[in-house]
Amino acid sequence: MTLATPTTTIRKPASAGAVRPRKLNILQRIWKHRHDYLYVLPSIGVMLLVIAYPVYYTVYLSFFNTPPNLALEDKIYVGLDNYWRVITAESVHEATWNTWVWTLWSTFLAFVIGFAAALALNHEFRGRGLLRGTLLVPYVISAVAAAYIWRWIFHSDFGVVGAISVALGITERPINFLDNVDIVMPSLIAVNVWKEFPFAMIMMLAGLQTVPEQLLRAAQVDGANAWQRFWHVTVPHVKGVTLVTVLLLLVTNLNSFTIPYIMTGGGPAGASEIWITHIYQIAFGRIRFGLASAYSVILFVIMMGMGYFYVRALTRGDDRSHG
Amino acid sequence: MSGEAPSPSSGRGWVSEGVRKRKRDPWRIAGNVFLTVLIIFAALPMVWMFITSIKSQFAAVQYPPEWFPRSPTLDEYRRLLLPTSEVGRDFLRYMFNSIWVSFATTVLGVVVAVPAAYAFSRFRFPGRNLLFYSVLLRNMFPAVVFLMPLFIMMRWMGLVNTQFSLILTYLTFGLPLSIWLLKGFYDNIPVQLEQAARIDGATRFQAFIYIVMPLSSPGIIATAIYSFIMAWNEYVYALTFINDKSRLTLPVGLQRFFAEYATNWPGLMAASFIMSVPVVVMFLILQKYFVKALTEGAVKS
Repeated sequence: MTLATPTTTIRKPASAGAVRPRKLNILQRIWKHRHDYLYVLPSIGVMLLVIAYPVYYTVYLSFFNTPPNLALEDKIYVGLDNYWRVITAESVHEATWNTWVWTLWSTFLAFVIGFAAALALNHEFRGRGLLRGTLLVPYVISAVAAAYIWRWIFHSDFGVVGAISVALGITERPINFLDNVDIVMPSLIAVNVWKEFPFAMIMMLAGLQTVPEQLLRAAQVDGANAWQRFWHVTVPHVKGVTLVTVLLLLVTNLNSFTIPYIMTGGGPAGASEIWITHIYQIAFGRIRFGLASAYSVILFVIMMGMGYFYVRALTRGDDRSHG
Repeated sequence: MSGEAPSPSSGRGWVSEGVRKRKRDPWRIAGNVFLTVLIIFAALPMVWMFITSIKSQFAAVQYPPEWFPRSPTLDEYRRLLLPTSEVGRDFLRYMFNSIWVSFATTVLGVVVAVPAAYAFSRFRFPGRNLLFYSVLLRNMFPAVVFLMPLFIMMRWMGLVNTQFSLILTYLTFGLPLSIWLLKGFYDNIPVQLEQAARIDGATRFQAFIYIVMPLSSPGIIATAIYSFIMAWNEYVYALTFINDKSRLTLPVGLQRFFAEYATNWPGLMAASFIMSVPVVVMFLILQKYFVKALTEGAVKS
């Protein structure tokens, strides 16, 4: 049940170079458009410098052992040794498990809460703008500030959450959220969800606005109940934005560094170590750039897999609007 | 679902029935309860940050905690914002650095993104799609993966410990989004407008400045505020590239502050508060544009 919205028929304005008298070969075409490239040159230049070159250099470095003083001319070629180390390292299993727990739970909870909030906000009422604005604030403030605020809230002696649970008789003594191997991950995930659900909310709210009002009403006239309207009318219309939102959340969470790094630094005893903090620790704590590069390359390959789906999700929308 | 709006009179019967039903709609009630819980979850940490920041250091470490400070004080704010104290001097320096880095990133970002977005929208040069989507892929790259090669590169270029290294790096954060968003704007500005201007004797550049730029200013504001907030909040690169205390930006400065005065929670909360104020105010004023920056592309139906 995919009904096109009115806007999908709007065509892109005809481009200046669209009418071509005869087929040119690729070099002639590039030459003909040579001035066009000047416009994109600054962007592409910056991107190449700050992205393409680092990607290349990370792959290159992953085949070397680098000296701890970072005198890179003394690096030693070791082939695939670093990758072998990654696979066989003890510490990597826990970090991998933690990364999955962290990424999947954060994404799932942030999305579900965000989507529910979007549904609840998706009608006019007084103070809606203010409410939406307030809910978005956690997303806007710095992750460093957020991490310290929550570290204080979770403080083992003077933390407000511990004090509340004692006052309500849930526990006898304040809980030591961040120093307990079993509770540290759920606590960090809660902070992360607090920071990220607004993103899911705002994306889904924008998505919900593309659901045609008449269609919901028509369904209601035909006797569809709230759940049926949601499932058969709303959900098909927000599939695309859901895919993009979930992908972006997955990538962000897989990449998150600041909250775990500031709140626990991977502790206690590695219980909250995820891949990104692990890589940072290897690179800038133990100063082993070669090994850390091997980790990075593996992570990078996973990201590119997701990137493929991301671009596909975006281009599908693009084709629809311009095709 | 704003079905309560005036409806065609022919359908009065079922519509008003629907409205009456919706007022007692259990889903609506559940939604309101959920929103109430959510707003508490979202806002309380920030309220607690503020309450802590106006306590004395002694009052902050009581058990059970003082829910409301018995004798509120602005001492910590005064200490942070007065350039006469040592803490204040450092803090104001970090703040100034953050403003400079974020501002430079934003301005450069717009200058670089506008022509690129325009070209992606208007021209059909070979490799256009490939370049466009590889720019977008930037969103997928883990920051930490770039940390080592960029650190080596910055060291090689002699940029470690300069704010230019941060500006250059932050530029690429906002760029994909800016290009994507602005391209959407340019796609929707009829090319005939420019053609008309050029027939009247304007150059392509003049047509761009006087016709296209004003029409795309909402997009430029949206990308600018997005870039500014990203740069203001960035932590990992600032942590790695800058060691010199006098060149730190606020997020790392906050961490330094915590390392030096580990038990001064009111001070830390006051610093967090001051650091959040500019972005939150900017965001609340320009909310519409910021939301557009975030959602554009994903819902370009």
